[in-house]
Amino acid sequence: MSIPLPVLPVALPLAAGILVLIVPRALRWVHETLAALATTATLALAVILFLRGAPDVRLPLLEVGGFSLSLDLVPSALGSLMLLFAAGFGFLVALYSLPAMASSGRRRQFYAFLLLALGGSAGVFLADHLVVFLICWEIVTASLYFLISTGTPESKAGATKTFAMLGGADGCLLLGIGLLWFSVRTFSIGAIRVPAEGWLLAPAFLLMAAAAVTKAGSLPFHTWIPAASEGAPAAVMAFLPASVDKLLGIFLLVRLCTGIFVPGPAMGMTLMVVGAVTIVAAVLMAMVQHDLMRLLSYHAVSQVGYMVLGIGTLSPVGIVGGLFHMLNHSIYKSCLFLCGGSVARKAGTTDLDELGGLAGAMPVTFGAFLVAALAISGVPPLNGFVSKWMVYQGAIVAGGWAPLVFLVAAMFGSALTLASFVKALYAVFLGPPSLRTRAVAGEANILMVVPPVLLALLCVLFGVWYRFPLDVFILPAVGTPAGIFGVWDASLATVLIAVALLAGALVYLFGRMWRKARVADPFVGGERVPADRLRISGTRFYDTIRDLPLLRPLYRWQEGGIFDPYVLLGKAGAGVTWVLRRIHNGILPWYLAWSLLGILVLIALFALW
Amino acid sequence: MAGVMPMAWSVFFVLLFPGLLFTAAAGLAATWVDRKVTARLQWRVGPPLAQPLWDILKLMGKEVILPRGGNHGLFLAAPLFGLAAAAIASAIVWLPLLQGASFVGDVIVAVYLLVLPSLALMLGALASGNPLAATGASREMKLVLSYELPFLLCLVVAIVRSGFSISLTGIAAVPVVGSISGALAFLVSLLCIQAKLGFVPFDVAEAETEIIAGVYVEYSGAPLAVFKLTQAMLLVTLPVFLSAVFLGGLHFAGWGILWSILKIVGIIVLVIVIKNTNPRVRIDQAVRFFWHGLAPLAAVALALALVGRATGIGWL
Repeated sequence: MSIPLPVLPVALPLAAGILVLIVPRALRWVHETLAALATTATLALAVILFLRGAPDVRLPLLEVGGFSLSLDLVPSALGSLMLLFAAGFGFLVALYSLPAMASSGRRRQFYAFLLLALGGSAGVFLADHLVVFLICWEIVTASLYFLISTGTPESKAGATKTFAMLGGADGCLLLGIGLLWFSVRTFSIGAIRVPAEGWLLAPAFLLMAAAAVTKAGSLPFHTWIPAASEGAPAAVMAFLPASVDKLLGIFLLVRLCTGIFVPGPAMGMTLMVVGAVTIVAAVLMAMVQHDLMRLLSYHAVSQVGYMVLGIGTLSPVGIVGGLFHMLNHSIYKSCLFLCGGSVARKAGTTDLDELGGLAGAMPVTFGAFLVAALAISGVPPLNGFVSKWMVYQGAIVAGGWAPLVFLVAAMFGSALTLASFVKALYAVFLGPPSLRTRAVAGEANILMVVPPVLLALLCVLFGVWYRFPLDVFILPAVGTPAGIFGVWDASLATVLIAVALLAGALVYLFGRMWRKARVADPFVGGERVPADRLRISGTRFYDTIRDLPLLRPLYRWQEGGIFDPYVLLGKAGAGVTWVLRRIHNGILPWYLAWSLLGILVLIALFALW
Repeated sequence: MAGVMPMAWSVFFVLLFPGLLFTAAAGLAATWVDRKVTARLQWRVGPPLAQPLWDILKLMGKEVILPRGGNHGLFLAAPLFGLAAAAIASAIVWLPLLQGASFVGDVIVAVYLLVLPSLALMLGALASGNPLAATGASREMKLVLSYELPFLLCLVVAIVRSGFSISLTGIAAVPVVGSISGALAFLVSLLCIQAKLGFVPFDVAEAETEIIAGVYVEYSGAPLAVFKLTQAMLLVTLPVFLSAVFLGGLHFAGWGILWSILKIVGIIVLVIVIKNTNPRVRIDQAVRFFWHGLAPLAAVALALALVGRATGIGWL
């Protein structure tokens, strides 16, 4: 009996991951080979599945009373698209990790859980059974915990926070699935289509949507991403929080909004508010960060806002835009994290104050970072612009005054994104070199350079010929006809930019610039200042904005954790245990008194029954 | 082969008319207006019409100095990138007005393209490695953030007034300024383009007397000429954009030509008069002015426009 095709991309990485965990630690090459082979094979399978499709798989596993658990894998158009991209990111990250994780003492753990997370994601994308879906979803959550803790010793705290928050969200998902089952009495995702109304289904929708946006990293459950970024390896950040977690979260959200539920306008409005607030609040935080990884992680939060906003408009163009933005974000954000990882490896730090001048030593990484940074800021004709522009159209199509306010928030958030990347570009690559970066010579390992470059090229391709990803990937996946949105001729604009650049170059030649160019020291008010005195800290670029009367308290509260549910719940939990601890004072008469009181309450209850 | 003709037309639109060449010529004429009006306000005679052109040509032939320790590739490419963006932006802004060639959402594209010259300026300045240029770039970025917020709100006022149209032809068909909200939005966005142009009182990014031309400090010769040309093009493109969004567009038949030119020149002269009668503000004052002063005003205008739309009162 041959194994059906849809089972393979799930089973293969899971099996390989378990195998890696079993193989002794000393056999390092086995781990690496297994990871490389398994991710390559998964990518190949995903490509075949995407191109050729496959019949549904329904393998009944067990049946207990009314519950039936069966391995239902249905390669839907959207699911196989997501799988294709997840497998692609898995492949690139595995490639990047070969040199990047070479000196890590936790390679085995890293590769094993990388594969498990990939297999779990594949399961989520293909599952047609809510319980299978949930199990695969949990595999990814648990793998992320172990992946983050392969980083620096400080990564433990971030891993714990991540696991606590995502675990809580998974609990919401479980509860939501329970409520849903209670109402529709089936676990088959494809068979459910109910309005998100009523006292059972509205909470079910909100709980499952909460799980989705937590996975994607939207406000108010976003704080695990910056926490994770503090110690986690760049490859982990690029693989899960930057790309695959976005795919998972947005996949579930789209499934909820267009498949399982029929959300009403109120639900759409809730999503739009969440999206708009996420965009602006997270990017305001990103602007004032002093660490490259934390800065990038806040953008990984902020960008989710565009996706949630687009999907929340519930209009075809908005949903398509949100999905496209998700793909684009995964591409440029993992590119940025990988570049950040290369910088960290060469310079030994990601502290913006200690970086600078790396454009000279690492020109290729700089180029990739620049393209991805412009793409995330929505600079035309790159990919981020196209999808943002579709989300904006969705907001306008949605009608009413509130979406217009969200539109302004989203467009303004785009300017803020640009601002924080101008700062990052300066502090890492363009500003004068620091003591640490002066010693950096040459690029990182070729395997660490190629993946970001490929991703940066994808940013350009998906921006210039955006009809291609839309027509081939996204429109078939959501079954929306083409021609629903305004046409911005990106390829034409690119030709024009190229022509204009050429014309400009001719202007330079006309001015016979090359013959007259001369290199001289920078001019600083006529003073002769040694180069190392010329440092202007990029991290202080936006102190003016931080010190605005309206924003200063917000920043202070944020630093105090007021907007962090993890901290808030932690405090509440500490409050509860404080009360319990007071009761546990070790004095026998008190314990006896409590026991007596308990018996009295029980007797009273039985008597009244 | 079907795509070649439209492609050729587009190249023509962007490079010759109404893009690069035409807007550059118009822009140089506009800088002449700038210099002439400034001179008259200062009781001087002012330069002849061709002076801006001679200045650019002269700069082209000058020596180019590259800053040591800077990123020379980006330093030289940035001005060209800005020029290209300005050329495409002006084509996108002009074409709907000239021949009704509009596409859905072109307002948003235009807004994005009009930020790119500032971005090019910042990247070029940061690539120079000069601390004064870095200071100027950080100020330029903060300025962009400051004026974008009220500017976007004003744009949404126009979108609401034109019945939720997001194409320039649709918006230009309605004289937005003929209502309280529209007039308010027009005034606010006038101050926004003052900052977009980097004119006094919002020339904090250059601030010759403080940071020695800031973003431009390391630029000389041809790259500087390209930046100057880009600024000159914006001096025309932005007023045209404002006319399209708020003043009911431009018309090129009969007396309409005169009326259209009057609109553009009127906006330019207004901007120049503001420039010549105000002292420079500090960057924090500029941020506060736009965020605490103009943004709420623009929000009020948006509220009025929405109320007017909901109740059908045209003059709101």
